[in-house]
Amino acid sequence: MIKKYDELNSVHIDVLREIGSIGSGNAATSLASVIDRKIMISVPQVQILENNEAVKKLGGAEKIVSAVLVKCHGEIDGMLLYLQSLEFINVVLRNVLSSSVERYEQLNEMHFSALVEIGNIMISSYVNALSTLTGLTIKLTIPANTINMLGGIMNVPMTEYGYESDKIMIINGNIICDGQEIESNLLMVPDIASLNTIMKKLGVLGG
Amino acid sequence: MKMQRREGKLITYALGSCIGICLYDPQIKLASMIHIMLPESSSPKPDNVFKYADTAIDETLRKMDVFGAVRRRMYAKIAGGAKMFNVVGDSNFGNIGERNVQTVVAILQKNGITIKSRDVGGSIARTLLLDAETGEAVVRSFNQPEKKL
Repeated sequence: MIKKYDELNSVHIDVLREIGSIGSGNAATSLASVIDRKIMISVPQVQILENNEAVKKLGGAEKIVSAVLVKCHGEIDGMLLYLQSLEFINVVLRNVLSSSVERYEQLNEMHFSALVEIGNIMISSYVNALSTLTGLTIKLTIPANTINMLGGIMNVPMTEYGYESDKIMIINGNIICDGQEIESNLLMVPDIASLNTIMKKLGVLGG
Repeated sequence: MKMQRREGKLITYALGSCIGICLYDPQIKLASMIHIMLPESSSPKPDNVFKYADTAIDETLRKMDVFGAVRRRMYAKIAGGAKMFNVVGDSNFGNIGERNVQTVVAILQKNGITIKSRDVGGSIARTLLLDAETGEAVVRSFNQPEKKL
């Protein structure tokens, strides 16, 4: 039984990395077909970090980012957050709407709707990987989005599961599109019970 | 929790559903800044007392007492408690900000501390600054002019 994120061992992390890897592949394929561009991905990293460390690593508390959030329920409870940097946003906008922005303030309703949709597609690709590998049924909520300071966004899973853990799981890998390398960050936050369900289904939960 | 006397600035970054609480005794110019994440601690002695409104405020007031602060002279300024995401079909999600605000206000009132000003709720993360010399507080957030508290 895993009681805390800290208790994940290297085998568990490997399993999560594998899910992340297949998820990233799925996500890249979906993204490529939506924006009609060739997309390459780097091997994703899975990191379990303390919240403050994670915020620092992703650019600092006051950094403005666009984020799409989807909650999952069914056999797995938790939430997923996809962080979209301005570079990522512009790749999407250029290819889908033939426009681009210099600052987050310039984003309009049309842009938002495209970004939420892309975020939703990316998140669903990861969830599909997880669901296929584990054979678990996972239901997703309608995506919610915000443009806000990173620190505030990263606190959402922390407050939701704050009584259980101070750690967060980040799957990051880079997307390479038109010769440009863009950071892609997905935060997967299953609750502890679900983490156990996943490990058990994949046969790596010892003891 | 940070404390400062007479000079310098205290700052806490990117308060989402969290609350930043400035406590100030103008007579001795003693300033404290707390950043709480959740309303109540499930145990009386949590690992991190400053994570929860109840234990954080109690501990900070205890420290300020030691440094000579007097409750009836003190005032508080609070900011934060936003709802970062609005999940359709899950109205409970993200209500933690609101619960944080209610709890913080109730605890401050219980301790007889006036809340001089507040900038709470909404959907925007805030950074809160407190000047230890004047007790003036400022809130800055994305796409908004700086606001004096």
